[in-house]
Amino acid sequence: MTTAVTYFEDVKVGDSEVTPAMTLTEAHAALYRGLTGESPDAPESIPDLLPLCLATGLGWRTPRPPLAVLAFMSFDWKVYRELRIGDTIHGRARVALKRSMRESGVIIEDHELIDQHGAVAQGGRFTFLIAKRSADPAGTS
Amino acid sequence: MADLRRYYEDIAPGEEYESPGRTVTETDIVLFAGLSGDYNVLHTDAEFMKTSIFGERIAHGLLGLAIQSGLFSRATKAYATIAFVGLRWKFKGPIKIGDTVRLRARVSAKRDDDKPDRGLITVQRTLLNQRDEVVQEGETDLLVEKRGRA
Repeated sequence: MTTAVTYFEDVKVGDSEVTPAMTLTEAHAALYRGLTGESPDAPESIPDLLPLCLATGLGWRTPRPPLAVLAFMSFDWKVYRELRIGDTIHGRARVALKRSMRESGVIIEDHELIDQHGAVAQGGRFTFLIAKRSADPAGTS
Repeated sequence: MADLRRYYEDIAPGEEYESPGRTVTETDIVLFAGLSGDYNVLHTDAEFMKTSIFGERIAHGLLGLAIQSGLFSRATKAYATIAFVGLRWKFKGPIKIGDTVRLRARVSAKRDDDKPDRGLITVQRTLLNQRDEVVQEGETDLLVEKRGRA
């Protein structure tokens, strides 16, 4: 049996997608602070790194099956504006670069998180190591 | 109430902090999957991961990042942070269930901002496991308030 994943071969530079939106709630902030042990700065604030953590999950709710990620290698990220409880964000992603290696490949994606006013709140670049279809022994995943 | 936060002037390049350790549990990974919506097999399918190079489930990279952020607040008194500006981050190795991570942080640079009431503090951060292997590392940029601010 196989389930749907997106292999290195399936990705083209320039491919882009827009995710569904999600409203940031007090529950998100409380769960995140409980999990990480971060202390709150202002009551209405959303922890700085929480939207970044939600970005990868939002990417799971698009028509493209999830990337066959072997490893998340690195990222650069910038915070442009503060998000608060009640703000609604969605993600925009675009494949910026791909580099083939023997049994896998590296993909660099540009990501942005956009608020309900259309302003980019956070954004950056993710670098992933992705499985090749041709090298996947189990037909994984 | 006394303001115990550390201002831009109080923070010196080269100062170092080390956090307490924190053991990463299966519960942490399950909660993070639920919160983030990232259900990648790397983090959620124990049987599949037996066949992977890791041999078992591993924590989300961003869970490690989030945990170090909490550890930072336990490693030093809070900065008078105005804004988190950004970060550059590398995932160097897996965090497995039962691993105990701790943060080593060092102020690597500071510089004045265009606005006179604040400055940029860059902190080099290294997340180590119980074998002193670097599992994650990177740099964060924080805008910190100056004491002189009215």
